[in-house]
Amino acid sequence: MWDLPHVPLGLKREWLGLETRRHFLGQGVKALGWAGLATLLGRSAPNLLANSPIPGAPAMVPHFAPKAKRAIYLFMAGSPSQFETWDHKPALADLFDQDLPESVRGGQTLTGMTASQTRFPIAPSLYKFARHGKAGRFVSELFPYTARVSDELCVIKSLHTDAINHEPAILQLTTGNMFPGRPSIGSWLSYGLGAMNEELPTFVVMTSKMPHRTNVQALSNRLWSSGFLSPEHAAVALRSGSDPVLYLNNPKGVESDVRRAMIDGVNDLNRQLFERVGDPEINARISQYEMAFRMQTSVPELADFSNEPQSTWDLYGPRAKEPGTFAYNCLMARRLAERGVRFTQIFLRSWDQHSRLPTNIKLMAEDSDQPTYALVTDLKRRGLLDDTVVIWGGEFGRTVYSQGTLTPENYGRDHHPRCFSMWMAGGGVKPGISYGETDDFSYNIVKDPMHIRDLHATILHLFGLDHSKLSFKFQGLDQKLTGVLPSKVVHDLLA
Amino acid sequence: MISWPNFRRAVPALAVLAAVVAARAEDTFYAQRVAPILEQKCVACHGEKKQKGKLRLDSFAHLMRGGEGGGVVQSGDAKDSELFIRVTLHPADEDFMPADSKPPLTPDEVKVLELWIAAGASATAPLSSIKGAPALAAPKAPVAALAPDWQPRSAQIARLEEELGVRLVARSHLPTDGLVLRTAGAPTRCDDAALAKLAPVADLIVEAELARTKITDAGLVWLATFSNLRALDLTRTRVTSAGLGSLASLGKLESLNLTSTGVDDAGVARLKDLPALRKTWVFDTRVTGVTADPAASAK
Ligand code: HEC
Repeated sequence: MWDLPHVPLGLKREWLGLETRRHFLGQGVKALGWAGLATLLGRSAPNLLANSPIPGAPAMVPHFAPKAKRAIYLFMAGSPSQFETWDHKPALADLFDQDLPESVRGGQTLTGMTASQTRFPIAPSLYKFARHGKAGRFVSELFPYTARVSDELCVIKSLHTDAINHEPAILQLTTGNMFPGRPSIGSWLSYGLGAMNEELPTFVVMTSKMPHRTNVQALSNRLWSSGFLSPEHAAVALRSGSDPVLYLNNPKGVESDVRRAMIDGVNDLNRQLFERVGDPEINARISQYEMAFRMQTSVPELADFSNEPQSTWDLYGPRAKEPGTFAYNCLMARRLAERGVRFTQIFLRSWDQHSRLPTNIKLMAEDSDQPTYALVTDLKRRGLLDDTVVIWGGEFGRTVYSQGTLTPENYGRDHHPRCFSMWMAGGGVKPGISYGETDDFSYNIVKDPMHIRDLHATILHLFGLDHSKLSFKFQGLDQKLTGVLPSKVVHDLLA
Repeated sequence: MISWPNFRRAVPALAVLAAVVAARAEDTFYAQRVAPILEQKCVACHGEKKQKGKLRLDSFAHLMRGGEGGGVVQSGDAKDSELFIRVTLHPADEDFMPADSKPPLTPDEVKVLELWIAAGASATAPLSSIKGAPALAAPKAPVAALAPDWQPRSAQIARLEEELGVRLVARSHLPTDGLVLRTAGAPTRCDDAALAKLAPVADLIVEAELARTKITDAGLVWLATFSNLRALDLTRTRVTSAGLGSLASLGKLESLNLTSTGVDDAGVARLKDLPALRKTWVFDTRVTGVTADPAASAK
């Protein structure tokens, strides 16, 4: 039915849904829940058409000429404190151990972790800041390397989110929604723009070894799933070690041509099944077999760092040779960018410093500072930074007051969704600027608030996509990364 | 859909079907102020291609003919004109226009429609005859075409993609934004011969992503015909300084990536005369004086 030229796409999709439904009901599959059925009906018909090699296939072309072709998102899970990193508050030094004025807190809900505290004593940053770069930005002494690329960064100090706990907050950052089941940013880009390199996944995720472990949040593929979009838009998670993609190698004794013949056979069967039941998920399955086969050659080449020049190791440091470290993942991200992977997301966990913040944040910074600087620098010198946007940040901010006992050397900070800092660099973002301001306690935003939705709208804009148009019909709504609440592209951040 | 406003239109606005005396159309209020609004916000669903509610809004005559419920303009009475009622309903009303949550009219645009209908909904009333209409927003600068429209050559493009194993991707929905020549999926399939075969579409290509391909100095000769090229990536190819002379005719080239190629200082000197070139990358080559740390700020 895909060949009928004058039938609108929406109608075809509905037919497809009916076909599928009739088929299932006809087979008497009563166990199939309505929720599952809805998922089937809502899925991915446009992709069948969009895979057309002809330029201008609607779903695969940016709405307007893009600035960014790829993004590398350094996700600092657990949420680094803004006070020790990007939101310099020198005046707090004089307020050590004083109580946070009631008027600032404004009756805000606290987490269960500090709600029972009798005092909310102000904890100034133990780390000093100094001016760096032509722009003279204050950068924390925790980031001596990143300070060197300060002029490349656009630091946003006025982000805010709706969630106060990690899981919903991380989900909101990665998928635009606190509830599981929505497509991740990388999946939307894959759906909206397609692949630049068909031999590799469009969306790749890596998790990093931690320099220490406290309050580590579990990560799951909810954060990089394709939600209601077709499964081929989900991320492929690269593992550390010699086997970055599991089960990719041929089993012992199976030659490549045998494997090829086997995949062809399975795909033939799947195609017949598709003709019979029209379930688009079958096509996704076929394309995943094909992708796996292609990755048999593309992934070993990708993971072979032996052709990297000495200048690479000088830049990223020796840890980059150890698979799974943040440094290794940053180098891998550069290699993925070179090969046209659109969206790479690296998670580094254990920034959740409710206690012993000064010690632990230093460990985290020492592990990640040089690789972060290296990545920005490497992209820049290779001419990739112009069309690759690098994004750094956690899922929310932290409180100005100490969680637990405050001493001159030690304190902790609780979660704080009302304001937090992130930075972006390259890919059409204005370099060397800061955006937004918080009050003296970095408790409330006083200038240019930017919701997560605005961040998402702005990221899509860099890729030439209008967030209000990039949508997928599901459960009766035109679903979007930015959802239904107001959201805007922050033009002040654009170069 | 039957909705209450339809019942209120038992008497279509016949009077305004009178022959239109042709004043210079471009000077009329309708042509200058009304038609652009309808064109921008309504014609996608009420035009030549689609006629939702059997209504077309892409010309004065069509507008006056009305839709399946009859006339939509009651000359002299905006509040009784279906056209006006539909755009001033509550946006959540299912009869609200434009439908499907498309961008609604701005208050200024609503005002323009109201004044025009109130003044008689004429095709010929001069622009200056209707007072009080909100000023037009400053006209947007027309977008310059980067390349000829690729659409007439789409069949040829598809054939070349198939034959050469490269991709020719539209840069945006605007067909004059040009094409990207993309080889990331199979860089080794793209060689000098492939570049030669792209000649029929060379003028459409605005960005050439040729990193890691088998292009050599000999192939760069063919790039000379890529007259609209803005960005060229030759990272990790066997290109040397000798070949760069072929790029001399690329008057629009703005960025050139020569990372990890065989170029040296002599090659860079050859690029001096490229008038539009703003960015060149020569990291990991024999060019001297390249910093390994370009992003680092001056201490
Ligand atoms: C996304 C598509 C869409 C857009 C854009 C749109 N319309 Fe409509 N319009 C419809 C549909 C569908 C109908 C038929 C259903 C109905 O009558 O509500 C309709 C019906 C109408 C009718 C009633 C026609 C009749 O005689 O029954 C009027 C008047 C109208 N539209 C005016 C407008 C105006 C004015 C605009 C621009 C501001 C506009 N529409 C933009 C979809 C659209």
